[in-house]
Amino acid sequence: MIEFAWLIPALPLLTFLLLIVLREKLKKASGYVAVLISGITFIVATLVFLQLIDVGNFLMEWSWLTIGSIDISFGILLNPLNGLMLLLVAFISFLIHMYSLGYMDGDQRFSTFFAYLSLFTSAMLGLVMSPNLLQFYMFWELVGLGSFLLIGFYFYKNSAKQAAKKAFIMTRIGDVGLLIGLILLFWQTNSLRFVDIYQAVTNGDMSGGMITLIAILIFIGAIGKSGQFPLHTWLPDAMEGPTPVSALIHAATMVAAGVYLVAVMYPLYMASSLAMMIVAIVGAFTAIYAATIGLVQNDLKQVLAYSTISQLGFMMLAMGVLGYTAGIFHLFTHAFFKALLFLAAGSVIHAVHTQNIKEMGGLNQKLKLTSAVFLIGALAISGFPLFSGFFSKEEILASVWAEGQYGLFIIAIVAAFLTSVYMFRLYFLVFHGESKLTLDKVKPVPMTMKIPMMVLALFAIFSGFFNTSWFGTYIADFLEEGATYLEGIHHGSSIWLMLLATVVSLGGIALAYLIYVKNALNQENWKTSGTYQMLLNKYYMDEFYDNTFVKGSRGIGLGFQYVEKYFVRLIILFIGDLVTTFSRTGSKSQTGQAQTYTAVAFLGLVLFAAVYMLKGGY
Amino acid sequence: MGTLSLLVFSPFIGLIALLLAGKQSDNITKRIAAFSSLIPLILSILVYAQYQAGSGLSEILRWVQFEVGEQTLTLNYELAVDGFSVILILLTTIIAVLAVFTSSWQIKQNSHLFFMLMFLLEFGILGVFSADNLILFFIFFEITLIPMFFLIGKWGGTDREESAFSYIIYNGLGSMVLLIAIAAIFVTAGTTNFSEAAEYFRTSNEAGLQLGIAIAFLIAFGVKLPIFPLHSWMVKVHVHAPPALVMIHAGVLLKIGAYGLIKFGVGILPASFTTLAPLIAILGLVNLLYGAYLALVQEELRSVLAYSSISHMGIILLGVAALNEAGIQGAIFQSVSHGLISALFFLLVGILLVRTRTTNLRKLSGLARLTPVLAGFFLVAALAGLGLPGMSGFVSEFTVFLGIFENMPVIGAIGTLGIIMTVVYMLRAILKMTYGTYRNMFGDMNDLGMGELIPATILLICIVVIGVYPNTIALTVQQTLETLLVGIGG
Repeated sequence: MIEFAWLIPALPLLTFLLLIVLREKLKKASGYVAVLISGITFIVATLVFLQLIDVGNFLMEWSWLTIGSIDISFGILLNPLNGLMLLLVAFISFLIHMYSLGYMDGDQRFSTFFAYLSLFTSAMLGLVMSPNLLQFYMFWELVGLGSFLLIGFYFYKNSAKQAAKKAFIMTRIGDVGLLIGLILLFWQTNSLRFVDIYQAVTNGDMSGGMITLIAILIFIGAIGKSGQFPLHTWLPDAMEGPTPVSALIHAATMVAAGVYLVAVMYPLYMASSLAMMIVAIVGAFTAIYAATIGLVQNDLKQVLAYSTISQLGFMMLAMGVLGYTAGIFHLFTHAFFKALLFLAAGSVIHAVHTQNIKEMGGLNQKLKLTSAVFLIGALAISGFPLFSGFFSKEEILASVWAEGQYGLFIIAIVAAFLTSVYMFRLYFLVFHGESKLTLDKVKPVPMTMKIPMMVLALFAIFSGFFNTSWFGTYIADFLEEGATYLEGIHHGSSIWLMLLATVVSLGGIALAYLIYVKNALNQENWKTSGTYQMLLNKYYMDEFYDNTFVKGSRGIGLGFQYVEKYFVRLIILFIGDLVTTFSRTGSKSQTGQAQTYTAVAFLGLVLFAAVYMLKGGY
Repeated sequence: MGTLSLLVFSPFIGLIALLLAGKQSDNITKRIAAFSSLIPLILSILVYAQYQAGSGLSEILRWVQFEVGEQTLTLNYELAVDGFSVILILLTTIIAVLAVFTSSWQIKQNSHLFFMLMFLLEFGILGVFSADNLILFFIFFEITLIPMFFLIGKWGGTDREESAFSYIIYNGLGSMVLLIAIAAIFVTAGTTNFSEAAEYFRTSNEAGLQLGIAIAFLIAFGVKLPIFPLHSWMVKVHVHAPPALVMIHAGVLLKIGAYGLIKFGVGILPASFTTLAPLIAILGLVNLLYGAYLALVQEELRSVLAYSSISHMGIILLGVAALNEAGIQGAIFQSVSHGLISALFFLLVGILLVRTRTTNLRKLSGLARLTPVLAGFFLVAALAGLGLPGMSGFVSEFTVFLGIFENMPVIGAIGTLGIIMTVVYMLRAILKMTYGTYRNMFGDMNDLGMGELIPATILLICIVVIGVYPNTIALTVQQTLETLLVGIGG
């Protein structure tokens, strides 16, 4: 079965081609075709994964690009890390395809939506299976394409157009870092294969400074894709895309690819303590930075977007403090509960046609299932005891503590506290209190949307038990099997940390309850304060970029316009004059433009003869 | 007559057929043109197959011989192809067929003469890529100028005459410089055959003269490529020439600059080009960034594409400056890739102009609403242009940067700014035009018909095939690459 692993990315690609070409003919059926094929993809991925547990590793390669003595290959690599990712991506993608059947029902570009979704899935699966950094980079860009197309799905909306453009450009800025890192790495190791890179690091083929430089450059790529500070501004805007897209691409899979990249290149990072430190600091800062913004946003999806940025920050933090399994584990649990939260948000939006939480309230009566699964997601992300997020977040905290980074530990604790505050602010404002909408406006949620939510809710609750100190650390054991470079990474937890995490989580929920249900605190002073305005405006990052880079680039362009108008123009005039003068003297009897040419050619011949006589004379 | 000569002269079949048919109805003329344009394509595929099979294609005929003092100067009619030229020949014939097909719905008047000139142009280009000596190359090079001049001046847009004039002046001067360089090679080396000349300069020690010739090549082909600040003629041609002609102009003619720089510059004068490499790298950077920033502020799609071409030619210069396997191969890839992508772009521009008569980005806003397929093709072309993996542009950009980073990492690092700016200007232009609110300025419009869909798809398939499996052309150029690099000593 494992030889057929190439089918996993090939099948969704087939869907894409099929739906793009036949979109007029298939119409409504295209959704079913896409769901069916993504289901088959998931089954193939499961079979491959099961076999992988026995085999351990699998590699297939073909020659792809020959450049003189350089040979770059293309292939498929399966190991515990990407096997796990493969399963996760295929599974969530299948659920989102199914959900989209209901959510996108009636849309004019129904087929196109599924085509794009399949294209993204194919690229993401290809990314996960790449055996070398160049192939990884190619799929990395292609998932960006999928994201771009889907953010801009409502292309006639100006905001969607701007958001799509911004996502592409911001991530491309990060990608350039990755590209430079990749090229430098090639000239250091003469290969782009992951195994060769690991080997070169272990053998000490590279200088310490070079390792740090390359690791940081590659991390810039991860910053762009995973929405880390300061390249995060595209991710909240990406919420312009249809909500299933936000769940799949901008929460569960693509944005986590940055964390995955750090994991794939982990030996390189482990060889540079400075690079590790930068990863940890950027992660911790992003975690708290985005959490504070999430506290005050009034758009349902925006809050979730900032929450995603913050949670990705947690994963990066874990990576930076040798918490490899903690980071991957959180990526794993986050994929379930964040996808769940987005799908629940989607079914709210589907029902009430607004995203402004100020206009919502009391929806738990009309949307019982949605309300319940949203609560599950919120509890999971807040690290409520025994829910999945509890275990993974606690493991991150343990890694930070074990590494002795007490400053980062405090930041992480505060960020975790803020997480439960903003999540329950959202929950209480949307589902509790008095309904501000006329309830007959609320549309029922179809079955195709309910099933994926229920499945994800189960995972949001239980997926934490795959890796606990009580029942067994299955994920950690699986990941570390055969990966010798992972020796020395952190594990484990302690009772006091679990208690602390519980207190933080419950404290946040309690605070949100007091403010938004009991109205116990006076919010007026807060809302008129400068801090509130700053948070509401997202620390003015968009304005900053707009006034510097965006306007700056345009300014340079306009400046060059002047160069073009005056300097280059001058050259034309000069040459024009030159030729006219020559042609007049050369052939006075001839006039007109075509003849000018003859004159020039004639002049050339004269010069030819002159050179000839000069050189031939001796 | 060998296959190669047959190929080079095959456009005359169409030309003579049109001449014999005389002024027929438009329909018949177009049909004759379309069918005869297929003949060079078929022959070029044959040539390609023979090259791949390893059979010798070179031809030699005694032409002129004269004695000067003790030296005997021989001028032969010599044709040969290598890995680079055989690919460019294929590119030429493919684009020529598509351009002829496209012209049939764009050219309303005097199509008879238009097609004859197109065939003459194709003859010149095929000769340029097949010539195996410098004088012959020069003659074919000159032959391309004449039909281009009339095609721009007679069938172009608003500023057609000024554009044609500017075209002929710049290129005429470039030719003059080229002729001086060739003359200098002829009298010093006593031959104009490429490999013999290369052999001569490998052992000679006239460094000053060599450098002079190398600079002359740089200027002559710099006009053609074009290199800043010799580019304004090319912007005019992009904007004012008929789109079908620009397919050939941007698709193939500009590549003569790259071809010349690599084959003559690097091939014959490797030592001097090594000296010039830093200068070429800086010129490449200027082209890359200057073009990109200017493309960002244009309001007309055709101007955006013109400056985009300048920017993309900068990448070729960077590859040449790298002077290593990856750099040169990247430059070759970029020549082919940019050829296909600009041909696709101007095919689409032609399709668009027939419907809207404008390429103003603001006026076109929201095009995707009315003609989703056309808008989709524009988006795909833009993605190809910005170097999306899976399409040819990525392979060439990556290979060039791989090359430049080995020798000049700082230049490479600055150059990556160009990668970002390409995304910025491409997306700005294409999204401004296809996304957003539809302004309803053009009434009802048909989306692509079959006759338009097929050529666009053919180009797209070529772009994707190279992008997905670059060894399709990489393996063809390996031997040529080796020969070139022996000269550099790498």
